[in-house]
This record gives sequence, structure tokens and C-alpha cells, in this order.
Amino acid sequence: MSQSEPPKEPSGRGADVVWSIIGTLVAGVLAWGAIGWLLDRWLGTRFLVAVGIIVGMAGAFYLIMKRYGSG
Amino acid sequence: MSAPMLPLAAEREGFHAPGIEIFEWPDIVHLEVAGFDLSINRVVVQMFVVGLLVWGLFFLAFRRPKLVPSGLQNVMEAFVDFIRNQIVLEVIGRDGLRFMPYLTTLFVFVLFGNLGGIIPPILFPLNGRMALPAVMAICSLLLFISVGISSQGLAYFKNALFPPGIPWPVYILLTPIEFVSTFIVRPVTLAIRLLANMIAGHLILSVFFVATGYMLTSMNISTLFGLGALIFSVALIAFELFVAGLQAYVFTILSAVYIAGALEPEH
Repeated sequence: MSQSEPPKEPSGRGADVVWSIIGTLVAGVLAWGAIGWLLDRWLGTRFLVAVGIIVGMAGAFYLIMKRYGSG
Repeated sequence: MSAPMLPLAAEREGFHAPGIEIFEWPDIVHLEVAGFDLSINRVVVQMFVVGLLVWGLFFLAFRRPKLVPSGLQNVMEAFVDFIRNQIVLEVIGRDGLRFMPYLTTLFVFVLFGNLGGIIPPILFPLNGRMALPAVMAICSLLLFISVGISSQGLAYFKNALFPPGIPWPVYILLTPIEFVSTFIVRPVTLAIRLLANMIAGHLILSVFFVATGYMLTSMNISTLFGLGALIFSVALIAFELFVAGLQAYVFTILSAVYIAGALEPEH
């Protein structure tokens, strides 16, 4: 409405940050859970899907902290 | 022998809450093309009607646009202004104005589809079936991928999958997560968020109105509670109106956010 340019970090991104944090968490569990599950099927074991889920969560936390933690 | 009959009789006359079956509609025209079920049911008809309505409203509003808008042009300009100022300029910036047509159509179509859930005699939210949310989410996915490729080239995938500032062995851990979160979780959550909100809203409204009718016609003490339920049901319509608008807004703004993310590499 006003003549000024929109700010560099627009306020509309608040909802985006929340959703993308949730999305990253889900994606971490899904991605590494799936890798663990496939390894389980390949190796005939049963615990790798659990390991995968935990690894995925850890990775997702790391990613979220790296991306949103400092700012 | 007569004792076990009693609960059965009570069960027959009892209250039956509407369930997920209220989302199933019989085919009006059965149609199968090359093994694909293309049957027309009520939801498909509603989809065509809403599509035509959105097209018609925009066509009529801007067929002969006037500098000082009035009537329908005023109303439709309010939608366009809202998308432009609240979504495109806020989220993407001036660069995003070329995505106005997509985002405006998306918003209005989702909104009108949702509003069907509370407008008699339609009373069915179009986005309560997975087909439309899924297709619109796939459209947004394809759009932001092509925006990414056209503005960054193949470096888009490198930027999307390998976040900067991280020692390289960690990419083994993070790249699968980034891939799933960008290209799978984004469209899936986009569609499911809309679908689940519409299913929940439609179920709540149905249960409340069926229960209100049941209580009001039961001609005992429940009739009194029925009056309270009636008031609450009407309040729920207002709430569903809010949800219809909010979910259209969320779907559109997240599509815009994904486009903005594809326009420039993340820092």
C-alpha cells in the first residue's frame, strides 16, 4: 500500500518457519526411517528402522538449529 | 428371551452419528476411459460449478474494468488486492507479481470450494475429497520446481539439497532429509492440511446438526438440550466460515513461500 519496498525479511514468513520446522522433523523421520526399513529388508534385521528414525530426528534437529537457531 | 431384545430395540431407535460415509457419493454418470474411472458424481459436478463460478466472476468483473470500480469489480478487486498486498508483496516481493494470477485463482477456488460446506443446499466442502487438494498441491510443487530451475538453473537442486555452511560428511545425513522435506513433505502436507480441516469441519457440522435434530424431535428432556445444541451449531457455521477462509489463505501463502524459496537460494 505505501510506497516503501517490502522489508527484506517479510513478516509473512512466521507461519512458514513453523511449518518448515515441523516439515523438517517429519522429513527426517521419514527419510531415515525409510532408509533403515530398506536396510532391514535387505539385511534381514529388525532394529535398523528404529536406528534410522532416531538418526533422522537427530539430523532434523541439527538442520533446524543450523537454519533457524542463530537468527 | 425377551430381555436381550430390549437393547436391540433401543439400538434401532437410537442416535446414529454420521460417519465418514457422508463423503461418499453415488455416481451420477458412470464413465470409464481406458481403465480409468472418470465417473461423474455430485462432487465432480460441484467442482465444475465452482470452477465456472470463479471463471465467470473474474470474467464479468474485469471484462470492462473501470478506473473507479463498482459492484462486482469492487468485490473481485478486493480479492486481488488481498493476494497482492498480504501474500505476494509480503512473502515474495515485487518479483512475485508475475505469480499473481496463479495465486489469486488458487485462493478464490479453494475458498469457494470450502464455502460449499456451509452454503445450503450444497453443504459439502469440495476439498473434503483428496482429489482437488492433491492436484492443487502437485500444481504448486511443479510450479516452484520450475521457478527454481528457471531462476537458478540446475544449481537450484544443489542449493535445495545441500544447505550451505555444513561440513561435507554431514551431507550424507542431511541430503535425504532435505530431499524428502522439500519435494515430498511439502506437497503432501499442503494437501493433507486442507483435506483434514475440511473433513473435520464437515464431520463436526454433520454430527452437530443431526444430533440437534434428533434431540429437538425426541420430545422429552433432550428437547431442551436440543435448543442449546442448535445455538452451538449455528456458532459452528461461523467457525467453519473462518476455517474456510483461513485454509484458503494458508494454502496460498505456503505456495507463495515455496515459490519465494525457489527464486533465490536459501541463506
